[in-house]
Amino acid sequence: MTNNASATTDSIIQVDGLVKNYDTGAVQVQALRGVSLSVRRGEMVAVMGPSGCGKTTLLNCLSGIDDVTSGRVLIEGTDISTLDDNTKTSYRARRMGFIFQFYNLLPVLTAVENVELPLLVSGTSPKESRQRAIEALRRVGLEEWAQHKPGQLSGGQRQRVTIARALVNRPAIVWADEPTGDLDSATANDIMGLMQQLNREQTLTFVIVTHDPSIAARCHRIIHMQDGRIEREVVNQEARVG
Amino acid sequence: MGFAQLVLRNLLRARVRSGLTLVGISLGITTIVALGVITAGFKSTAGAFVQSGGADFMVAQEGAADMSFSTIPETVVPQIAAVSGVAAARGALFHFTRAGSNPLFLLLGVTPGDLAADGPPLVEGRYLADGATDEIVLGAQGATDLNVRVGDALTIDDRVFHVVGVVQSDVLWEQSGALAPLVTVQEIANRREAVSVVHITLASGTKRDEVARRIEDEVPGVVSIVTADDIGKIDSGFQLLDAANVAISGLAIVIGGIGVMNTMVMSIFERTREIGVLRAVGWSGWRVLRMILLEALMLCFAAAVAGSFLGLLAVQAVMRIPSVRGFLEPSYEPNVFVQAFIVAIVVALVGAVYPAIRATRLTPMEALRYE
Ligand SMILES: Nc1ncnc2c1ncn2[C@@H]1O[C@H](COP(=O)(O)OP(=O)(O)OP(=O)(O)O)[C@@H](O)[C@H]1O
Ligand SMILES: [Mg+2]
Repeated sequence: MTNNASATTDSIIQVDGLVKNYDTGAVQVQALRGVSLSVRRGEMVAVMGPSGCGKTTLLNCLSGIDDVTSGRVLIEGTDISTLDDNTKTSYRARRMGFIFQFYNLLPVLTAVENVELPLLVSGTSPKESRQRAIEALRRVGLEEWAQHKPGQLSGGQRQRVTIARALVNRPAIVWADEPTGDLDSATANDIMGLMQQLNREQTLTFVIVTHDPSIAARCHRIIHMQDGRIEREVVNQEARVG
Repeated sequence: MGFAQLVLRNLLRARVRSGLTLVGISLGITTIVALGVITAGFKSTAGAFVQSGGADFMVAQEGAADMSFSTIPETVVPQIAAVSGVAAARGALFHFTRAGSNPLFLLLGVTPGDLAADGPPLVEGRYLADGATDEIVLGAQGATDLNVRVGDALTIDDRVFHVVGVVQSDVLWEQSGALAPLVTVQEIANRREAVSVVHITLASGTKRDEVARRIEDEVPGVVSIVTADDIGKIDSGFQLLDAANVAISGLAIVIGGIGVMNTMVMSIFERTREIGVLRAVGWSGWRVLRMILLEALMLCFAAAVAGSFLGLLAVQAVMRIPSVRGFLEPSYEPNVFVQAFIVAIVVALVGAVYPAIRATRLTPMEALRYE
């Protein structure tokens, strides 16, 4: 087991002894039992492991979507476990992007409006929001589909909209929970290619939860989890950072 | 895309549900507006009567159930006239009866002398002659409704009257009714030597409220009615209308609030994951709360607009009934509409606060995991 607890200057994510318990009345689930890891800026990390091992929980705790039970989570040097909900929320709005397995787009909004959602809270003017959303859609190759509702888009196209939404606020980190889980392998390949390109061009840090070994193989590092712990880490020699 | 646009889209996504909620609330608002306009109309019509013939206020029987039931012995009129500060006291007797197609025709018994001194302006003919018992003066609207003119004979309650004059009155009840000698009306109504109300003209330099109080102090069994609202003291119809107004507003808030709550709870259940997404991409709980409240407010605002229009239509329909037309004039007071919109806002808040707080209590993770 590799334990990179020692902070390096360029680590954007630094986790020490992260524990997460879920208290569901009668039973207590220990979803994370002391996770420590460090991710460098611009790194693309895959998280793998059997179902229920705590991958989603880890992502949620790192991104501040969920509270941690104990341990320390430093994001860009800030311990987010000590921030109040509003500060965490505004941190997510400014510095993080999210890609979910089931796209999670708002069905009542067009593609471009969905992409604008994170900007609605950042005080960006409507005109600039629209420009940036269109620009983000162009980057994922969906400019022509800007005015379509999610219901009129294919799975791959929807996931591209989600990626555009994750990019639009120019985040430092993008969290992706099984981004290709619902796509066929060719489309999955495209989406992964897109994320790699964004990672290279913009030094975007990606943390990608996946069950797909071929997706994981294209990341810089693979973290294998088991029972709420990191079992081992594999550094991919071909895919070096930077 | 703006915040309000998203709110509107959310409402329009479940058109049928939003539509039905809107109809339900707008019907409540319809009732509030219609009743409000009619109550206000009734009050201003009655208020005009308080001041009829240039009177400063009027006096009625203490504890009467209804203005037309108010009975004051004729002998009390000079007693009231003797109270210091009173320049003139004129008794009048109400008698509601059927005339033509109007089942609520007001025959007002007055003494010919009072009518000549302070009556509404004549448009035709003359006032009642002293000592005459079978003469009648019609309000202009009453004359039109009954299709009679000066010189015609008019039968009311089996008595034949000679129409001697037509007056133009600001008081709707006179305008669509008639004035006849007090003794005759006392006979017809079988209320001999009684009047319903006494109109008071103040001596110059006296204060109205002081004189009104002095009359109540010095003359037993009477109450002074200075404003339209005072009519509630003797007319239970007024109290009933006011109570109905409060009750209907209260019911509208409770029923409408539950309706909105049901709609919003359903809508938010369905959108729990979407709320999780919004929270994940940086929307604060407060912003989500505002989104939900604004949805309910928009819905209720639309209902208030629709309900106000329907209420006006309902009033138009009610005013087609002849007896109602002779009884009150609708009064479109801004207050009525303000009340309707306040009720709508309260309905929205009552209905949305609980679902909104519930929705924002979930952590983003809980909302995202919601199935
Ligand atoms: N909100 C919750 N309440 C209770 N238990 C939870 C909650 N969320 C997760 N768990 C439990 O925590 C453990 C880890 O769940 P998690 O969703 O992180 O797994 P995962 O690795 O993402 O699995 P999958 O690959 O199936 O998505 C599981 O045992 C799960 O039942
Ligand atoms: Mg998962």
